[in-house]
Amino acid sequence: MKISESDVEYVARLANLEIADEEKKELAGQLSRIVEHVEQLNRLDVSNVIPTTQVVTNTKHAVRDDRVQLRDGSSDAGKTIKLFKVPKVITER
Amino acid sequence: MNLRNITADKLVGMYAKRDLSVAEVINGVFEEIDRSDKSIRAFITLCRDRALEEARRADARIATGEPLGPLTGVPVAIKDNMSLKGVPTTCGSKILGNYIAPYTATAVERLRTAGAIVIGKTNLDEFAMGSSTENSGMFVTRNPHDLERVPGGSSGGSAASVAAGMAMAALGSDTGGSIRQPASFCGVVGMKPTYGRVSRYGLVAYASSLDQIGPFAKSVRECAHVLEAISGFDSFDSTSAGIPVDSYTKGLDQTIHGIKVGIPREYFIEGMDPEVKASVERAIQRYAELGCKIEEIHLPHTEYAVATYYLIATAEASSNLARFDGVRYGLREGSTGGLSEMYRKTRMAGFGKEVKRRILLGTYALSAGYYDAYYLKALKVRTLILSDFQKAFEKVDVILTPTTPTPAFKIGEKTADPLSMYLSDIFTITCNLAGLPGISVPCGKTSGNLPIGMQLLANHFQENLLLRAAYQFEKSGGFG
Repeated sequence: MKISESDVEYVARLANLEIADEEKKELAGQLSRIVEHVEQLNRLDVSNVIPTTQVVTNTKHAVRDDRVQLRDGSSDAGKTIKLFKVPKVITER
Repeated sequence: MNLRNITADKLVGMYAKRDLSVAEVINGVFEEIDRSDKSIRAFITLCRDRALEEARRADARIATGEPLGPLTGVPVAIKDNMSLKGVPTTCGSKILGNYIAPYTATAVERLRTAGAIVIGKTNLDEFAMGSSTENSGMFVTRNPHDLERVPGGSSGGSAASVAAGMAMAALGSDTGGSIRQPASFCGVVGMKPTYGRVSRYGLVAYASSLDQIGPFAKSVRECAHVLEAISGFDSFDSTSAGIPVDSYTKGLDQTIHGIKVGIPREYFIEGMDPEVKASVERAIQRYAELGCKIEEIHLPHTEYAVATYYLIATAEASSNLARFDGVRYGLREGSTGGLSEMYRKTRMAGFGKEVKRRILLGTYALSAGYYDAYYLKALKVRTLILSDFQKAFEKVDVILTPTTPTPAFKIGEKTADPLSMYLSDIFTITCNLAGLPGISVPCGKTSGNLPIGMQLLANHFQENLLLRAAYQFEKSGGFG
């Protein structure tokens, strides 16, 4: 599968990235080569194979109680720091 | 003071006898860094003042006669993608250039609790994406064995700091070989533990299902000390394993007579450096002399590992790195133009080329219409790679391979061609996909005096066996 410059633009938009015009061509070429390489996976028939998302063995996914736990090295957020200043994220239409 | 010729055990022994103070050693280490790091450039940030303060406190504790742990006053370096409260954590990226960590990673805190003193944060490929440390947004780190060559990556700064005697041990992170490959290039021991063995809390995520923190040291025993200190369950990491931690140093002296060493034919490929091949073959011979049974095995899906890795890792990265958008961390650009513009401008200015390339590839693999063909397919092939290993470990106890197909390459040699850089990880990637523990141990040198490394792999949570096999090799005749 060949990746075109407009594919690069489309994916960049999905990823919230801005790509300079002069980089688009180079990236399209590099990504095409990489995608060509990964397409060797098509040689395998995996229709009956279960996907592996995570290799956590002999343990179940640990979920702890949702309580604040402080220990050495913990953040001071909520202790000495009460508020965080962030940029305006809601804009008027 | 250069740490190349002294081990952690010896150092702590000298502290105990008051032959040497921790403050003297830490001062000496910074003198060595001032001398050597001008050319090697392993460190992004030095923690001079806090390290000296901790050294004085350690000396005060030693003076009271309290028993010393194996890492008391031992100078360690930390890859700069792990958090240390109050200290910059840049991930080698401009996007985090001015970010100061508000808390400490569990692995780092455990090292400190064991008495180790953090002397600095080391250089890496930006967000751990790379195999040479050339992708760092800060500067290039050089291999202490040959300054014209790369130290490997992505934990190149950590490997180089230990190889140059600027740190006694170091922490790195390994997603596709980022500890084992630089360890091999720099002639030190580097270990990636089983997925879940060491808490990832406070490690900036690259590919969450593959990332694992592990130690660098110049000997297997020191590596075992560090691993013992950082391993174990952590309620702050939901993938952390609740399995008890073995005493990794206690088992080292046990014999390896009778253990079965598997040699996968697929890891001795065309185009491999002949000196690497010869050196690894000598290591196999050494294991036979130590009474191990050498058996040929097959890992038939090995050839698909690089493709599988670069789909899974980039897909996870595209999601993990979405958080760097100018709102919460570090750099902020274009904040006057509205939210989307701020996101895009910040990410364009902050991320380097390789990071953008991987985010694009990962986003592509996850995008509508391509998810099944790329990402889902890779997850299925991951199952096949895992099952190759499960079958192999029914037959053998450990697997021995070269760590890399070549010794350290020249700076600039592979930067123009990302795919050729990716292929340099060909022997280390399967271990991450299968979640196995792996260790790289020096096994010789080329005629040009460059280190060569071999890799040992074992089944999940068999760190003890892996370290013992590595230690017995080291003991039987050095790493040469």
